[in-house]
Amino acid sequence: MGTARYIARRLIFSLCLIIGVSIILFTMINAIGNPIEVLLAERPGITEEMIQAVTEYYGLHGSVTDRYFTWIWALLRLDFGTSIIYNLPVSEMLVTYGLETLKIQVPAILIALCVSVLISVLAATRQYSRVDFGVIAGAMVGHSLPGFLLGIILILVFSYTLGILPSYGAYSTRNPLWGSDMADALWHMVLPVGMLVFFNCATLTLLLRSSLVDVLRQDFITAARASGLPERRVVFGHALRNAFIPVLTYLGILFGLMLGTAPVTETVFTWPGLGALYIMAIQQLDYPLIMGATMVITVMLVTATLLTDIAYVAIDPRIRLG
Amino acid sequence: MLSTLASASSPVTAAPPAPLLEVRDLRVHFFVREGVVRAVDGVDFRVNPGETLGIVGESGSGKTVSSMSIMRLVPPPARNVGGQILFEGEDLLAKTPDEMEALRGRRIAMIFQNPATSLNPIYSIGAQLGEILRWHLKLSRAEADARVVELLTLVGISDPATRLRQFPHELSGGMKQRVGIARALLCNPSLVLADEPTTALDVTIQAQILELLADLQARLKMSMVLVTHDMGVVARMAHRITVMYAGRVCESADAATIFNAPQHPYTRALLESMPRIDQSYTGTKRQPLPTIAGRPPNLLNPPPGCRFHDRCPEASAECRRLLPLETTIAPGHSVSCLKRGSEGIAA
Amino acid sequence: MSDAILAPTAAPPRAPGIWRQSWYRFRRNRAGMIGLCIVTLVVLLAILAPFIAPYVPDDTSAMLRGAARRPPSALHWLGTDRNGYDVFTRTLYGARTALMVGLGAMLIASVIGVLIGGIAGFSGGLVDELLMRFAEFFMVIPVFVVILAVVRLFGIVVVGTWMEDIPNLNMMTIIVLLGCFEWPPIARMARAEFLRLRGAEFVEAAHCIGSSRRDILLRHILPNAMPPLIVLVALGIGGAILAETMVSFLGFGDPKAVSWGQSLFFNYEALKVAPWAVLSPGAALFVTVLGFNLLADGLTDAFNPRLRQ
Repeated sequence: MGTARYIARRLIFSLCLIIGVSIILFTMINAIGNPIEVLLAERPGITEEMIQAVTEYYGLHGSVTDRYFTWIWALLRLDFGTSIIYNLPVSEMLVTYGLETLKIQVPAILIALCVSVLISVLAATRQYSRVDFGVIAGAMVGHSLPGFLLGIILILVFSYTLGILPSYGAYSTRNPLWGSDMADALWHMVLPVGMLVFFNCATLTLLLRSSLVDVLRQDFITAARASGLPERRVVFGHALRNAFIPVLTYLGILFGLMLGTAPVTETVFTWPGLGALYIMAIQQLDYPLIMGATMVITVMLVTATLLTDIAYVAIDPRIRLG
Repeated sequence: MLSTLASASSPVTAAPPAPLLEVRDLRVHFFVREGVVRAVDGVDFRVNPGETLGIVGESGSGKTVSSMSIMRLVPPPARNVGGQILFEGEDLLAKTPDEMEALRGRRIAMIFQNPATSLNPIYSIGAQLGEILRWHLKLSRAEADARVVELLTLVGISDPATRLRQFPHELSGGMKQRVGIARALLCNPSLVLADEPTTALDVTIQAQILELLADLQARLKMSMVLVTHDMGVVARMAHRITVMYAGRVCESADAATIFNAPQHPYTRALLESMPRIDQSYTGTKRQPLPTIAGRPPNLLNPPPGCRFHDRCPEASAECRRLLPLETTIAPGHSVSCLKRGSEGIAA
Repeated sequence: MSDAILAPTAAPPRAPGIWRQSWYRFRRNRAGMIGLCIVTLVVLLAILAPFIAPYVPDDTSAMLRGAARRPPSALHWLGTDRNGYDVFTRTLYGARTALMVGLGAMLIASVIGVLIGGIAGFSGGLVDELLMRFAEFFMVIPVFVVILAVVRLFGIVVVGTWMEDIPNLNMMTIIVLLGCFEWPPIARMARAEFLRLRGAEFVEAAHCIGSSRRDILLRHILPNAMPPLIVLVALGIGGAILAETMVSFLGFGDPKAVSWGQSLFFNYEALKVAPWAVLSPGAALFVTVLGFNLLADGLTDAFNPRLRQ
């Protein structure tokens, strides 16, 4: 059937993407020169064992292609090597830090989605009203306000001035809020999630509102009204689903943007996530960590894109033909 | 063309029965930045039970806005500013939004002009038609499906059980319009509004759809308002005809009277501009097809007097000053023209 | 054929061209005009920075006076930062860097994008397919993360080579990288426009009267493909400025450059004691990005009258 073939095609493209990134990453690192030499350039105190370990892991004795396949083969066995600075298995670190990143980003995009749907409906069903104009202006300003600046403002207001929310970290080092680890974790999540929600919400509202305004003007909406369906069902059942189709692409792009700029977000909030880990890794030139983190971020991104593609099929029957 | 004229002239005109729908002095204005556009400015017409009323006019004459306002679905910036719409004796303009919702699709239904855009592209035929049944008649999913299949069969769609699961983009234009007609008939409405139901279709399909509509109208004894710019279409379909021009009614009468003894100069001009089968427009003895000179007035600031005066061959000084009111000149035949005895008011 | 046919007839009055018409529409667009005003202001401030700024950008005399991290005062309108720099002066000069980054990156991106998109749209077939997959690839990979890594690694590689002597090397690297990663949207749009215009009637007419291929490309297709590309470039300038600021904010920027990102990087740790040193460059960045976004918004409306409501 068409649907299965479409998904299979997107799956293959996603795989090609991942392989492509791995080749580029590997070539880039190798083009710079022998990783060991680069390592030594900024770290005179490195021990012989470390050099040995890195040489071993990358099979640095062989040719470039040999080395690439050694590396890929290790990746497939989920063996990402050992971090040079932390002396821990990279795979373990990626899981720990990756979960912290997802912990703020997944709720953020879900909340943003719900909020922007409500705001867009409010604005689009009152086109040209003061509410609508206010929503457009607010969304435009929010869309142009870089996320990390908003984060800084939030910290200034809620942590430094009001003193009600923590400005850094994912957990309290001691004395968790109300003695509960769960409450403490949520308490720390408020600011970073709030910032990401606002950022995503502004962009999504901008897109969804204009898409919804277009759809609400279509004949089939008048037809649904003329069939006596209640306004609530016309807007949420008929208009919103159609309005979502053009927005769907941006949902994938938005998630990618959020993940790609995780280093900035996590620096602002000193959040122990993948982005912060990545910054650490490139500052310290921790090769196994750089390559591991880049691959994991790529895979997450590609998965998000793939999910968007699949969501298209679920929402728009016309896709199945193409 | 003449033969089709004959087929439509079989009205049941004894004593006028209680009308199913009566529109009185309807006014719908568009409030735009530049001012007020009087798209519909005092329109009267009525539809008797079991009868098709054809509303004819060129684009911008207010015929579509009139039919949308029966549904109370004129979009902003348009607003209903006056008049009465009596449907089965109740004034629709006085109803609450909830009451209107219960009425739409159930007692009054609508067929749209463009079948390609009037079906929701992301729902299957069965889903979007079934939803209406489940909402209005509280049918179960299975009952709704059965009823949809029944109606798809009625409108001449083959293999309706398969169509149920298909999406609009998988159907041809004519097929989509049949689905649109089936949607209107789902709840056995007593009045169907058809707004240019064939304009967006291929000529061959147009004939089929018109035939289907005429057939359904006769079989189900339903009342219909057929809005069109095409005299040929009303000739085939309508029992009574209302001719509109620039937001006002020129003339209303049964079809035979309109075609055989038109009174209003606009109606006459409209009929003269129809191509005739007994007239040659090519060859050596050709005559040009008559057209109506000029263009409709701007409804933003309509000139005083009769709306048609600057295109009217009979216009006199008072036509430029007085707005004619609708006058009954024979049973079931009314016209608004100062030259035909209408009263005029200064406006 | 007689000469009479070729005789010049009185030229009809020239209708206003697409640019003039767009300008009429643009002038009526409130958001677009606000954007244009902001962008003009930023450009003027950047050009006139040496005349407006009360200090030179690397003046740290406040530090010697023990007046670092002071709140706004008559002497220092926006206060001083932790290095003793005058925040107002640094923010003003930062606009120069920002515009240079934005314009430089988008110039590179436009050249690459129009070339690749044009080739794809004009040749079609397998070349088209391959180039577009290539563009899609660039749109899916985590660009920002890759830029960070490249900037860092490149900084090490150049040590000891001739490239080390290039002034502002680090900033140039960032500009070139941003340009090399921002071209795909432009390429896709250019391709779509070339495809649309290749089949347009006026292009076929030009073929018929025997215009050369070069003429058709440069005089008929390219000018007509410009409007949507200009919108993308305006958006891209804002995006590139933001990206450079984030790279610098994370500490991978040019330490010698006077840029908003550098100010943010240096002063973020002192946010609590000297928030003005963070908020000023932040506000400048926000206003500039907003200006370009509004400008792009207005341009979209001006170029596409059909989309206007």
